[in-house]
Amino acid sequence: MVEKVKVRIDGEVIAATAGQTILEVARANSKYIPALCHMEGLSATGACRLCVVEVSGVAKLVPACTTPVAEGQSVVTSTPQIESYRKIALELLFAERNHVCAVCVSSGHCELQALAQEHGVTHVRYPYSCPRLPVDTTHPRYVLDHNRCILCGRCVRTCAEIEGAHVWEVAGRGIGSRLVSELQRPWGEATTCTSCGKCVQACPTGAMAEKGWAVEEMTKHKTVVSRLTSMREGS
Amino acid sequence: MKIQDLAAFAAAREAGLAKLLPSRPRIAVGMGTCGAGNGAEAVYHAFRDEIDTNGLDISLAPVGCFGFCAEEPLVNVWLPGRPLLVLRRVQPNHVGAILDAVAHGSLPPAETILCKIEEWDHLTGHLKYGAGYPDVPSWGQVPFFHGQVKIVLRNCGLINPDDIEEYIGVGGYQALYKVLIDQNPAAVLEQMKASKLRGRGGAGFLTGNKWEFLAKAAGPKKFLICNADEGDPGAYMNRNEIESDPHSLIEGMVIAGYVTGAPRGIVYVRAEYPLAVLRLEQAIEQARAYGILGDNVLGRGLAFDLDMVEGAGAFVCGEETALIASLEGKAGRPRTRPPFPAQKGLNGKPTNINNVETWYNVAPIVAKGPAWFTETGSPKSSGTKVFSLVGKVRNTGLVEMPLGTPLATFIYDIGEGGTNGRDIKAVQTGGPSGGCIPADMFDTPVDYETLAQLGSIMGSGGMVVMDADNCMVDVARYFIEFTHSESCGKCVPCRVGLDKALRMLNRFTEGTASLDDLGLLDELCRMVRDTSLCALGGSAPNPVLTSLRHFRHEFEDHIVAKRCRAGVCQELALSPCENSCPLHMNIPRFLQLYNEGRLEDAFLSVVMDNPLPASTGRVCQHPCDDRCRRAGIDEPVNMRDVHRLIADEILLGDKFEPMVARVREQRLEPTGREIAVVGAGPTGLACAYYLALFGHSVVVYDSRPAAGGMLRYALPEYRLPKHVLDREVELIERMGVRFMFNTSVGADISLNDLARQYDAVFMAIGTWKETWVYLPGTELTGVLPALPFLEAASRKDEVPVGRKVVVIGGGNAAIDSARTARRLGAEVTVVYRRERKDMPAIPEEVEAAEAEGVRVAYLLSPHRIVGDRNGQVRALEAVVTRPGEFDTSGRRRPVPTDEVIRLECDTVVLAVGEGVDPDFCRASGLTLNEDGTIMADRYTLETSRERFYAGGDLVTGASNVSNAMGLGKKAAREMDQRLMGQRRFPQLLPAFSYAMEPPESPAEIGRHVPPEAPAGERVMSCAEVSLGLTPAAAHAETSRCLRCDIRSTER
Repeated sequence: MVEKVKVRIDGEVIAATAGQTILEVARANSKYIPALCHMEGLSATGACRLCVVEVSGVAKLVPACTTPVAEGQSVVTSTPQIESYRKIALELLFAERNHVCAVCVSSGHCELQALAQEHGVTHVRYPYSCPRLPVDTTHPRYVLDHNRCILCGRCVRTCAEIEGAHVWEVAGRGIGSRLVSELQRPWGEATTCTSCGKCVQACPTGAMAEKGWAVEEMTKHKTVVSRLTSMREGS
Repeated sequence: MKIQDLAAFAAAREAGLAKLLPSRPRIAVGMGTCGAGNGAEAVYHAFRDEIDTNGLDISLAPVGCFGFCAEEPLVNVWLPGRPLLVLRRVQPNHVGAILDAVAHGSLPPAETILCKIEEWDHLTGHLKYGAGYPDVPSWGQVPFFHGQVKIVLRNCGLINPDDIEEYIGVGGYQALYKVLIDQNPAAVLEQMKASKLRGRGGAGFLTGNKWEFLAKAAGPKKFLICNADEGDPGAYMNRNEIESDPHSLIEGMVIAGYVTGAPRGIVYVRAEYPLAVLRLEQAIEQARAYGILGDNVLGRGLAFDLDMVEGAGAFVCGEETALIASLEGKAGRPRTRPPFPAQKGLNGKPTNINNVETWYNVAPIVAKGPAWFTETGSPKSSGTKVFSLVGKVRNTGLVEMPLGTPLATFIYDIGEGGTNGRDIKAVQTGGPSGGCIPADMFDTPVDYETLAQLGSIMGSGGMVVMDADNCMVDVARYFIEFTHSESCGKCVPCRVGLDKALRMLNRFTEGTASLDDLGLLDELCRMVRDTSLCALGGSAPNPVLTSLRHFRHEFEDHIVAKRCRAGVCQELALSPCENSCPLHMNIPRFLQLYNEGRLEDAFLSVVMDNPLPASTGRVCQHPCDDRCRRAGIDEPVNMRDVHRLIADEILLGDKFEPMVARVREQRLEPTGREIAVVGAGPTGLACAYYLALFGHSVVVYDSRPAAGGMLRYALPEYRLPKHVLDREVELIERMGVRFMFNTSVGADISLNDLARQYDAVFMAIGTWKETWVYLPGTELTGVLPALPFLEAASRKDEVPVGRKVVVIGGGNAAIDSARTARRLGAEVTVVYRRERKDMPAIPEEVEAAEAEGVRVAYLLSPHRIVGDRNGQVRALEAVVTRPGEFDTSGRRRPVPTDEVIRLECDTVVLAVGEGVDPDFCRASGLTLNEDGTIMADRYTLETSRERFYAGGDLVTGASNVSNAMGLGKKAAREMDQRLMGQRRFPQLLPAFSYAMEPPESPAEIGRHVPPEAPAGERVMSCAEVSLGLTPAAAHAETSRCLRCDIRSTER
């Protein structure tokens, strides 16, 4: 027996199922909430903080991707403050590593780039870190470029929750956090990797790409990952 | 021995009591980590050896810590029937004397005695030690302990943490036994809820409600967790609690296990606390052996066991979801809530997490009831909280106070104010995630809500006290550096936001930030606070946000003036002495030049920094002394007297003419600009001197017939001989400065006239109005304001001073008046309403005055002046005051008592402070500050009128010579920059080359203090009191400098 709840999102009353998150309900009803670490078919982690929204009666901003809807809840998806925070979060991601769109395989098909354009990020006001980061080209078919990685963890969850191989993990902490494959082995030497490539498809930026593509040529098929989950749940 | 019935329990209790109050003397050594760090182990072993070798009938035990860190190691000595004596700073060499005293039933060495305890309420039990030692203060009479309420720390430092029987002896595990016998967990839950106990880890959630969630959660698999992952810099209350009294924690958790139905508890303790880990491990073992833990707790059928897990020291694991992840063997990263741990916690099972200190409150609440508990604390925050009071405060240690106690009580009553009597600037509460609260808000009650309103938090109870030596920008930077490196890296705001905030704060401390960065930093910190995933990121920006709110001027100083007043930010200061000097004299340079025997170069160095080096060398308040790092070895370098000697050698010797020529060589090309300076006091002279060096044409106006202002007309001859000042004025005049004496701006020439004639005007007419005291009797003949009195004395006019003089006040003017009156043959008493340490006068001056026979009466508040029929002063009546509460200046407010005393006198000098001339300020048409002084920009000293600048006491209110001159110098620099469109100040300064080698090891010589004329002789004349250093002494003094100006040496 599914319990039905009524919520209000940006003023509009919407019927939803208990247990759904605010983000799921909003997206199902054409209400836009940006997100980077969230991906349909994967568990939600609430790491990128782009999806923060205001909920009536809650003093703090809450992430829409992990907050379940509740009867009578009123959600506001955008305020000047939220917009300014989202913009800062995007700027921070650009300042953290070396996102040089002009030479990126994913330029034009990049979620980070698209969100920046959408939110009017024309320049970054914070000092760039410009870290020296390696590119892992050891895998015969794929490449991992740490310069483009935003640590959203979508590859980690795809590999763990869908492929079940647990190749990826985030090591280190704070600003020194790095995506690692199999106990810090180069990707090409990771014995657990099935080379299925779903992590590449899940990656929102140019951090993971197939080899052989030039600038702007790498397009990804996100639905591949999401569809697997829905098909398994359906069976 | 497994306790399975009441008889066994009672037997354990008797055994414990027999150890605590044996029939022979007992000595207990405080052996927490803190005590051990101060040598407690050596003390313990010394006692052990002596007792064993001599076969003494004395019981010796280790105990935990009683909380007074500043007085460690602490030792308790008890003789049957007598009070427990707490000894402080006990070293192994005291052991013999203490044992002798024990043998003879006498008191141990006086320097070791801290206090006595006649009886102690352990809350679960009561110990009567005995009565006696009438001369030893009771523990509650010691300022550090006064007002403390020991609920959490009830057993700490009094019982042996390694012995479960001592814990049972003071009533431990009795509350647990009662709960198990009553068989009514719901009633206990109600008690916990009614007590309104709130989580002591910082968030302040009601503990009873949390327990209820867990009790209602379904299933037999549930967990209780104790969060002992204390990681805040400067906080160590949990460590001490576990080290001193581990069984209270176990008892609290077993009770909760019974109430909530959780069969298992886990203590997550940080591995960096080895002693706490060891003692807790032993305590758990003993509890199992005594049947407190296990399948059948106390024979009542409850199954509950406890495990300990050592955390790897990640700060973020204090966050409950990260802690659970760590327990599950995953990386310590938090996750979003909901689901809350009470729904899905450890291994997906319902879990309740409480902080160490929360658990310590459980047994007393159960034993004494919630009504008793809510009697302590404030309505919304009941009970007590343990704070670790650390930093720049005299008494450091663990302080347990009722919630709602004002900050001032912690800092001024318990802490007894700043170290070395320094003024306290702020306190940082709540560890790295807390905020900085400025001293003028110390009336704030310490509870969860009020701290949150100020942008800070209670946190785990860290309280770091800061004084003027702490730079708030650096403090903010330090804490962000900490949280930045402890961020788990999962969410963007905390991982990247804190990194960027740190980079921006680094720019502030290096002086490379811009004013725009302030707004950017503020916005970024709000974003990190409002959008971070867990409380680490959510509270990490607090130190920055509160500093920006309460200490914005310090950030602005770093940006605009490139100045760190605290002298912490190295890139912004040459050395601590230079940074503290209002004139920013390059002190290490002139010391080194003089040390190399280059008197002329040393003089040039001095005089380019300070045009009145001989005068300031006599009367400066020498802030450099307070900052000199040499003080850490012995005493500060006597910088003031060295530059006095350098100046005297040149100004009063035959090298004056050549040096005038050398200083003139430093002048820049004439600019053709004309500038008026109003006021020939130290501020005006300094400004005019530098303007002349810049090549401008300068005219100085003054209403008096000669230059020098207060230096000439308020400072007595015996402190500053006027022929010295004359030479300095001559040097300034010969730089091209012209003087217009006997010309009063306002009366003889208007500001508009000046505006027409000059390119810029600098005003510095000082504070010449004596503040009038509204006392009955001030109209009587014989009542004199200090400044006119001093001025008349300096002009050697006829001064109408009588035989018995009373001076009212505590500043330099009061002491100058007293010493001058003494020289005029009077008997003098200074009446000051506060205590000696509160006096603003230079301490050396007060000492000198007393040596000359001036009587200083403290804690006396003038009440009225009594006159005779002819209207002549006869006496002063004053109310005796006592020191009361601390005010926001950190001094005790004088509170009048009933006692009035009468001082017979024929003259009363009023020296209670000076102010600006309000008529002049109002007539100037310039914007004024609230106190009537002229408003000038903090950085450029521009007034509200274009091309008009102001400085010195006219803008700050009464201050001192060096501060005033510093503003004069700054004004000259700013005016020149405005007129010439570039920063030309560096062009003025000649280059010197001198040795840049720090001393291999500090020269082993003490501070040289100039000799003084004998007190008996000097009161007979106005000759100078301080005779100055000899060249040999000055030379030796210069070699004491540690050369903080040298950044690095390549060897």
